[in-house]
Amino acid sequence: MPEEETLEEGVLNPVKPEIQDPLLQSLLADTPLAETPIVPAPAPLEIPLPAETVDCIVIGTGAGGAPLLARLAMAGLKVVALEAGPWHDPKKDFATDEKAQEFLFWNDERLSAGKDPVAFGKNNSGTGVGGSTLHYTAYTPRPQPADLHLHRDFGVGVDWPFGYEELEPYFEELEQFLGISGPTPYPWGPSRRKGYPLAPLPLNGAAQLMQRGCETLGIRTSPAANAALSARYYQEGVGWREACTNRGFCQAGCTTGAKASMDVTFLPLAAAHGADIRPGCYVTEIERDEAGKVTGVVYQQNGQEQRLRCRHLFLCAGAIETPRLLLLNELALSSGHVGRNFMSHTAIQVFGTFSEAVRPFKGIPGALISEETHRAKDADFAGGYLLQSIGIMPVTFAGQVARGRGFWGPQLRSYMQQYNHVAGINILGDCLPHADNFLELAEEKDARGFAKPRVHFTNHDNEIRMTNHAEKLMRRIWEAAGATDIWAFPRSAHIIGTARMGLSGDDAVVDTNGKAFDVPNLYICDNSVFPSALGVNPALTIMALALRTADKFLENQK
Amino acid sequence: MISSPYPAGTVRALLATDQVSPPTRAALEARLLAPAYEPQFFDAATYELLRMVAARLFPQPDRPEPIELAPALDQRLLTGGSDGWRYDVLPPDREAYRLGLGGIRESGRVMFGAPFEHLTDLQQDVVLQAVQNETAPGPIWETLSAGRFFEELLAELTETYYAHPLAQEEIGYAGLADLPGWTHIGLNEKEAREPEEAK
Repeated sequence: MPEEETLEEGVLNPVKPEIQDPLLQSLLADTPLAETPIVPAPAPLEIPLPAETVDCIVIGTGAGGAPLLARLAMAGLKVVALEAGPWHDPKKDFATDEKAQEFLFWNDERLSAGKDPVAFGKNNSGTGVGGSTLHYTAYTPRPQPADLHLHRDFGVGVDWPFGYEELEPYFEELEQFLGISGPTPYPWGPSRRKGYPLAPLPLNGAAQLMQRGCETLGIRTSPAANAALSARYYQEGVGWREACTNRGFCQAGCTTGAKASMDVTFLPLAAAHGADIRPGCYVTEIERDEAGKVTGVVYQQNGQEQRLRCRHLFLCAGAIETPRLLLLNELALSSGHVGRNFMSHTAIQVFGTFSEAVRPFKGIPGALISEETHRAKDADFAGGYLLQSIGIMPVTFAGQVARGRGFWGPQLRSYMQQYNHVAGINILGDCLPHADNFLELAEEKDARGFAKPRVHFTNHDNEIRMTNHAEKLMRRIWEAAGATDIWAFPRSAHIIGTARMGLSGDDAVVDTNGKAFDVPNLYICDNSVFPSALGVNPALTIMALALRTADKFLENQK
Repeated sequence: MISSPYPAGTVRALLATDQVSPPTRAALEARLLAPAYEPQFFDAATYELLRMVAARLFPQPDRPEPIELAPALDQRLLTGGSDGWRYDVLPPDREAYRLGLGGIRESGRVMFGAPFEHLTDLQQDVVLQAVQNETAPGPIWETLSAGRFFEELLAELTETYYAHPLAQEEIGYAGLADLPGWTHIGLNEKEAREPEEAK
């Protein structure tokens, strides 16, 4: 939990940002540059000088940082991962309790602006060795090839600078390595060389109900692909991981190691190959030489400032902290796109009450999928979405009832007594980049004295049409399944696109290999580089990009 | 009206078994056995006002001792804790809560000629409904978004309420019995350690 006592007090009249950079100072002061020579500030003497220079520093240990770290370590490079959060022992530290598990979320405050402010914290951002994979639901469908070229097909958004075939081998590798449980053959998308290594996880009550409703309406469904083990699985560098016990608590931390979070898969593999993973290290500065090359980073650890030098830097801190670090350090900004193109999946949920007992806390939450709406025939929007059944935990659900339905008093308590009879369906749909959806630095400071991020987000016509289409369909599915008291909770999920990848440094921050256009040894690898949001959950694609970025980097080092 | 379809005493009975893992038991017992709390962030009068608002949002006539919702909020504001985000239209949480609770007190005075604390239950509900609907009178609501403040207050108290083991018992949630995992997960399937629902 961040300590924000002194800094938040009376921030009603925000102070002006303290601008450190002499160039920016002079620009703002409108003084001629000649009068303020640009001299890099001398390093504070109290920061100990590092004994050595490592080949690579990786900032962040989530779905972007961890696979990359393992790949680099396996190639024999000297690599250090800096993770802001602690290293947990899930068996001993994790409670099956939503409140007690809040330490898994990135809880430094972000300011949510726009007409549809995005919820952060438990909704999308993690901390700790393993990053957000510590609390992802393990839902790991592949994107479909068409997701990568929305502009070619619809004339909106931007296309990825490469096609599906670039990622396909990595999807296959990941599915086998992580032990993804899913149906073979998979009913949608191009045919695959290899099936999933494990059979799908069992369907819970919500999944059975969605299956029933979809069957009545003639909508094809399938057990979903999830990165949680339906059977014991041997993990290289780890040993045997045990099968999922249907505890249903993926979104607040897996205690058994059945869920393929990074701390039980890629990170032990990386460590086995010599990677140095340092928890509790919060990076504040990225240092450069006169030529603009990154020379190392400064980070805070146990209240001490530390400096580490590197030959290459990989920024994998997620689509908020990555652009925030770049903006704070005035680094890689020449495209003007850092912080822009913020996207968040359309993710409206529809709940209904059933006469049957559902007990929605049991089993893998997203057990059933339908991709029949990936390119719906009657769509009046670009792109598409997938449908998933959802399990839900009581505290999260109650909070949504309060926010979404506005219930309180006896009405809220009566409704919540039906918790065991409630089931939900969720969509996960594409989102276009819009000029007014972006991240900026706010005047308000966090507990460390750095500007908080402010994120503007408003759904536009395409997102609104898609959401309306989905809500109508999900209401029909629930009616067909026998639900009463059907209601919708509009929301956005995942954070995407704030340092996008492209062919030109004019409209993108990194090139097709994930390398910054304007910094010779800086790479970015997380959901911020996605040129478009894709109509699927991002974790598998982030990991695929991580392996690809590592391979491209290693090729270029030869 | 609020009587639960699930039997009382099941959570305490479960906590005494080895079907609850030690970290889970520790988290739940800390709430179940919470000692009396003295406010440290709010002054005594504002804290009492918060308790009265909480009592309208979560009336608990069915409980001999209501689940206290104000301590968790007072603690959080004291330590500066955050859930990772806040509406940009609201000021920092400490300001928002001081202002918002002041606004509720003020609206009571304008609408019924007495501070919120002196109103009847029904009048208090009318005031809170007006805050939720953004129709409550008073100058504070010209600078503080009444709807967003109410949403934040309600969501936080709601999450505190349903994190309490006895509230989880009330809705028949048995997920705290996290050992050894679940095998009966389909529709109408139930394991022996899950409570029976009254028809």
